[in-house]
Amino acid sequence: MKSPVKAPFPILCLLLALGAAGCQKSDSTLKIGLAGVQTGSDGQIGTTMFYGSQIAIDEWNEKGGLLGKKIVAVSRDDEGKPNQAVAVAQELVSEGVAAVIGHFNSGCTIPASEIYQQNGILQITPGSTNPTVTERGFRSLFRIVGRDDQQGVVAARYARDTLKAGTIAVLHNKTAYGQGLAEEVKKTFEALGGKVGFFAGISGEEMDFRATLSAVRASGAQAVFWGGMYGQAGPLLVQLRDGGSDMPFLSGDGTIMQEFLNTAGNKASGVYLTFGPDFQQIPAAKGFLEKYRARFGPEGPYSIYGYEAANVLFQAMAAAGTTEAAKVAEVLRSKTFETSLGPVSFDEKGDLRQTNYIIWTVQDGKFVPAAP
Amino acid sequence: MDLFVNGLARGAIYALVALGYTMVYGILGMINFAHGDIFMIGMFAAVFAIGVLSTLWGPVLGVNLVIGAVLAILLAAAYGYANERIAYRRLRRAHILAPLTSAIGLSIVLQNFIWLSVSKDKIDFPRFDSGPLADTRIPLPLGAEASVSLLQAVILVSSLLLMGGLFLLIHRTRIGLAMRATAQDQRMAALVGVPVNKVIAFTFVLGSGLAAAAGVMVAMYQGVLRFDSGYSMGLKAFTAAILGGIGNIPGAVLGGFIIGMTEDLTSYRIGSDWKDGTTFLILMVVLILRPRGLLGERVAEKA
Repeated sequence: MKSPVKAPFPILCLLLALGAAGCQKSDSTLKIGLAGVQTGSDGQIGTTMFYGSQIAIDEWNEKGGLLGKKIVAVSRDDEGKPNQAVAVAQELVSEGVAAVIGHFNSGCTIPASEIYQQNGILQITPGSTNPTVTERGFRSLFRIVGRDDQQGVVAARYARDTLKAGTIAVLHNKTAYGQGLAEEVKKTFEALGGKVGFFAGISGEEMDFRATLSAVRASGAQAVFWGGMYGQAGPLLVQLRDGGSDMPFLSGDGTIMQEFLNTAGNKASGVYLTFGPDFQQIPAAKGFLEKYRARFGPEGPYSIYGYEAANVLFQAMAAAGTTEAAKVAEVLRSKTFETSLGPVSFDEKGDLRQTNYIIWTVQDGKFVPAAP
Repeated sequence: MDLFVNGLARGAIYALVALGYTMVYGILGMINFAHGDIFMIGMFAAVFAIGVLSTLWGPVLGVNLVIGAVLAILLAAAYGYANERIAYRRLRRAHILAPLTSAIGLSIVLQNFIWLSVSKDKIDFPRFDSGPLADTRIPLPLGAEASVSLLQAVILVSSLLLMGGLFLLIHRTRIGLAMRATAQDQRMAALVGVPVNKVIAFTFVLGSGLAAAAGVMVAMYQGVLRFDSGYSMGLKAFTAAILGGIGNIPGAVLGGFIIGMTEDLTSYRIGSDWKDGTTFLILMVVLILRPRGLLGERVAEKA
């Protein structure tokens, strides 16, 4: 019996050979995957992060590329959805990227990183703060931001020690990031002798929080913490203030976004957010910000993280003399990198050795660091 | 008390959208899956119209809002008419799955249209409208604690007026009579001279107008809107229509209020994690005990 596969088989071989030849040709370029959220409710924060990385790539190319090759960005949108992130990861693997900068949402980084690990691709995330990201012992996964168990502690301490709240309410958006951060805040706040009167998750599409806020008020909370993103934070704060409550509103780095202020308008009072230090004040960041604004308009909170994630990665690749994940990871762990965010070095897990979350507040429609 | 009013406002909005589902089902025996997106079109049309009016003669509160809402209703009604012409009329005699699929297709087209032409991200409802409306509170004569925000009062009163208007239209006018006749038996109605095509188109226009009115209110109430805002609203309103007995107009209103109140009570008592679970649990129990819905007609007669 003749197998029907036999006839097309030589053609297949030929195609494969051609494909291989194509790969040989593209050897003068170095593909870097940019993965993260570009559309949907977190679209803006993710897109401005991408732009930051893009500027770093262009700068390196102007200087003559990396390891003698031109860097090409392969950008993919995971829509902020875990299942889409897995699909994106598989696409990037088959595109043959040397490393991935991303993803943004923790809920996306966690499943996608499994795929990069299996395929020996180095990953560095500029935005995912959930502890799980680096707790799984992956050797070639790094993050250039802090962890939620660090920022949660800062937020809970601020509520307890500075705002003197005895009871707080904690709400989250049921994602790896939001819920994880909310649980850290709850844990720390209770350890500090405070009480969490109300703890609840709200699904991502929900925009009418009035019933939940009634429960928050009824719980006797003196402050509310939101573990979630800016998209829902705006309506949440407006509805809290409309309901006649002026209790402090605390949240994490997912809320520090101009969009939030646009929605909140003049209701943005008593807002306290945890985020990294004010990079506008760092002289080294000035050049980047000017370049960014000239090209893409106003920067996002993660633009500079996207930029420095790329810079650190390229420096490590240049120092290692290769793009091989294990060797680059070795360099990343051993060296200290000078960046516009300050010196960056990674510990064994791939976390930053020092993070410096501070409290931000809103004044005259702008985010400013709160007086310590 | 706050909670009661919140639930009523939510319920009123669900009810308005549910009416569109139930009217179309009552007449055609089909579910219009693009209805939620007509609602979303209404939201965006209102924001757009208010934006244009504000640049024309400045932010005049109230006037802009009313004109914006009317324009949104008209535009959505036009979309409703197109919805019927594009997705339904040609397929009326086809297998039930054909119009269902074409409506889902239309829903995707509408979402993508907004996604590509307006924004992939959420946009804000103009602040000058939601600000004073939400800040003003009307005290109720029930106790010190009880008060309703002006916005909630506007939502409740206008939805009740719309529902009352619809009831009168269906039971007291010639077109209402024609609608009821078409719902009972299309062929018979055509034989006695009812312009069935026009009546069906009118039903879509009416339902879409109501959905747009609800859209304007939700946009004000939430303060933000997005291209996929119609999806979850459509699902909830559809559930409300089923709960009340699909095809039955007072049923849709009742279903809307039940779902609105249930959601708010669950969010308050148990936590919003359980909100959707409780709603659908109630739906399941009702459908097991009473498959035709709370006020539903006998389904057998339809077939």
